[in-house]
Amino acid sequence: MKLTLTALGGFLGLAFAMSAAQAAAPTDPQIAAIVVTANQVDIDAGKLALSKASSPDVKKFAQLMITDHSGVNKSATELVTKLHVTPESNPTSQSLQKGGDDNVAALKKLSGSAFDRAYVDHEVAYHQAVLDAVDTTLIPNAQNAELKALLVKVRPAFVAHLDHAKHLQGELGK
Amino acid sequence: MPGIRFWMQVPGAAVVSLALAGAAATTGQPKTFVVSMQIAGFEPAMLTVKRGDRVEWVNQDLFPHTATSDDKAFDSHSVAPAGTWTFVAGKAGTYTYACTFHPTMKGTIKVQ
Repeated sequence: MKLTLTALGGFLGLAFAMSAAQAAAPTDPQIAAIVVTANQVDIDAGKLALSKASSPDVKKFAQLMITDHSGVNKSATELVTKLHVTPESNPTSQSLQKGGDDNVAALKKLSGSAFDRAYVDHEVAYHQAVLDAVDTTLIPNAQNAELKALLVKVRPAFVAHLDHAKHLQGELGK
Repeated sequence: MPGIRFWMQVPGAAVVSLALAGAAATTGQPKTFVVSMQIAGFEPAMLTVKRGDRVEWVNQDLFPHTATSDDKAFDSHSVAPAGTWTFVAGKAGTYTYACTFHPTMKGTIKVQ
């Protein structure tokens, strides 16, 4: 798998934050912040890719990321509102936000096929990292049954997005 | 009553499906089948129906899906979360279909 330095940096940053989070299990308000941030950074990257990507398939993928992650965040926001849980910023959500901001900043400097490849490479690394976090940290530590159920429900989306991004990565590499 | 408790535990869509299927068994009327749309896949992924039967796709995800046959014999277009789309099986054949948004979602409807 070919990774840009930016994608790798974001991935490692997230992996580091996740290992730190594992040391101190996140609370439900912290998990809520991680979920909302994880979705939002991918929406932000998708919006940039929708305007800058040159490949029609990459544009289509970017639109899918915006639509799907917006749908997940809508449900997550409705759930935490119902549960009276206030998302609480924490090292993992902050690392996700910084990784997302750095990714968007790096992508803005690219254009054409270089942009497409960098965006898709990061999508692969991002979805893999979030999926790992969902499995090893978020689902095991979620205390509220409805929050846990939401995480279980959205997990297949991350799997499908990862497969989709990997497929695109293969297509762009040809 | 155990019977009442059983029905209350079954999701609404499944109740409709079972009720109609039960009626069809005695009257010979067309049946309605329910297919769940979820990003992990259509459920059931393979379904055999008779001409005139109805297939109702129910989006149980948090984002839109489609049920679009490869030969364009049917196309739900975008079905919103909690939305449904119904197809009446007209012509016999085997129809492979997918979600145009999520290509990993694939299914097959066999119309007899």
